Amino acid sequence: MIQIKDLHKSYKMGKNSLHVLKGINFNVEEGELVAIMGSSGSGKSTLLNILGMLDSSDSGEYILDNVPIKDLNETKAARYRNKFLGFVFQSFNLINYKSAAENVALPLYYQKVPRKERQEKALKYLEQVGLKEWAGHLPSELSGGQKQRVAIARALAAEPKVLLADEPTGALDSKTSYEVMDLIQKINDAGNTILIVTHEPDIADMCKRIVHLKDGVIIEDKKIEQIRAEQYV
Amino acid sequence: MFDRDIWQEIYHSISNNKLRTFLTGFSVGWGIFILVLLLASVKGMQNGFTLQFSDDATNSIFVRTGTTSLAYGGFEAGRRIQMTNDDVEYIKRSFPNDVEYISPRVYQNTSARYKSETGSYNIQAVHPDHQAIEKTIVSKGRFINTNDLMNASKVAVIGRKVEEDLFKNEDALGKFVEFNGLPFRVIGIFTDDGDDNAERNIYAPTTTYQKMYGQTDHIDQIALTYNPNYDLTEALAFSDRLENVFRRRFKIAPKDQSGIRIFNYAEVFEDISNFTGGLDIAVIIVGLLILLSGIVGIGNIMVFIIKERTKEIGVRKALGAEPWSIIKLVLFESVFITALSGFIGLGIATGLLAAIGPSIKTGAFANPSVSMSMVVTATIILIVAGVLAGLIPAMKAARVKPIVALSDK
Repeated sequence: MIQIKDLHKSYKMGKNSLHVLKGINFNVEEGELVAIMGSSGSGKSTLLNILGMLDSSDSGEYILDNVPIKDLNETKAARYRNKFLGFVFQSFNLINYKSAAENVALPLYYQKVPRKERQEKALKYLEQVGLKEWAGHLPSELSGGQKQRVAIARALAAEPKVLLADEPTGALDSKTSYEVMDLIQKINDAGNTILIVTHEPDIADMCKRIVHLKDGVIIEDKKIEQIRAEQYV
Repeated sequence: MFDRDIWQEIYHSISNNKLRTFLTGFSVGWGIFILVLLLASVKGMQNGFTLQFSDDATNSIFVRTGTTSLAYGGFEAGRRIQMTNDDVEYIKRSFPNDVEYISPRVYQNTSARYKSETGSYNIQAVHPDHQAIEKTIVSKGRFINTNDLMNASKVAVIGRKVEEDLFKNEDALGKFVEFNGLPFRVIGIFTDDGDDNAERNIYAPTTTYQKMYGQTDHIDQIALTYNPNYDLTEALAFSDRLENVFRRRFKIAPKDQSGIRIFNYAEVFEDISNFTGGLDIAVIIVGLLILLSGIVGIGNIMVFIIKERTKEIGVRKALGAEPWSIIKLVLFESVFITALSGFIGLGIATGLLAAIGPSIKTGAFANPSVSMSMVVTATIILIVAGVLAGLIPAMKAARVKPIVALSDK
């Protein structure tokens, strides 16, 4: 699903150049649930940005679903993001004046799906995350866990190839975190490919594979026995 | 393009910042209000000028002769130039395509008497064509016709004031009035909404006066109207040709200003339209400058809105919003605020003009009003203004990096 070869990225900080990613190589197969771990400054966020086409690499190869991702202009990047990727953010990033259903329908709006179909799909995905009866509520009327579940429904709505989650439990207490992880595991069980950036070991242990980054290189890449979140819920 | 989502966005953005939106919209509405009122005022001046001259046909030319001031063609200076009936025929023959109506004028002062009432009046002895040239409105009876002219009939068309003064409460039509002791039958009464003095005139056939006073064919003036299809340039060119022909005919030096005078209304109208045209441009510039401050205001509010919504825009982009859809969002909002507030200003201004405009009529200022084309132009200006106001903020918004949505700082 994802092939990355010798990825390099540096940032210019005044006169100095900060080499953040120093040759990353890794592949993700379809249906994997991967945790990307590392302390701050390890390059994990930069990697996620590049995977999410929010940033470009200096050199190296990135192939997503057999499509080489390079030389993207803004419009093309937007289209690819819409088609290939679903994002889940730490701070949910729901649009505060749109109802849960409208938030979920937003990626479909950018896919130019007709309004009626958008609403039907939005309800379908809200049901999948267990929030169908909250469809008409504004984000301000939802708890943190509910917000993140709406955000997950939104990420799923566009039916992306890969789900990218950036510290999806970072703003949640542990109980709610496990609920969200339970949901993510179930989505993964259904065959979706998911990448999670996290620095919490217990969250990483609930994935099927852990990629450990340090100082811009992968120092560890191991498959693990998944801990189901269900038992903590 | 105008789907519900965009309206929802605009509605949300405006309702969240009601006061700010109102204040900014006000400046645009005010700008359009002032622009419309200024343009209407210029229109009012134009109307006023036109009204002052609408008394006479606006395509009229008057030919007068005098005494030469320069020696020319073997003649001494100081020669008196006298036009005759032949000159009228000559113009008719020479300029068949240029002349619409033509009439000589013979001026005569007269003391008029009816029963015990007397008064002193100006008589203009003219041809039937004169009615069209002066736009004389005959309210009763008729104007002088060809028969009167051929028979040199002693008939007169008198002004409303003359009738009022001499005949008091009687109907003058068909009655006989004495001019310098000679009886004339009143065949018509005319009115003139231009001014009261015009209604103190009396018209009679040219031939009658030429026979009565010495069997001459002398005339004092030639009044004519030119082809109404002529524009200003053609009209001025025609009066130039006419003048050249007359100078040759009477052997008047080309630079002699007192030998012959040709007065063309087109010249006056050229001056007026130059003047009001210049005023129009000045007003448009002033109005646009006022509008500009409104546009800057709207641009300003849009920049603020974008700044507030940077994160939201980033999220939208991460979800797959193309730059164009972001630009569209900002532009529509900007055009909406501009157009709405502009229309309100436009509406108030046109409403005000419709209400009080027609009652304004003083001297050279009458019925300030806006034309449909002006309203359409203003609308186009507003939409362009809205686009301009939104353009920079929109491009700013389109450049927002979706990374900002991921950075949770």
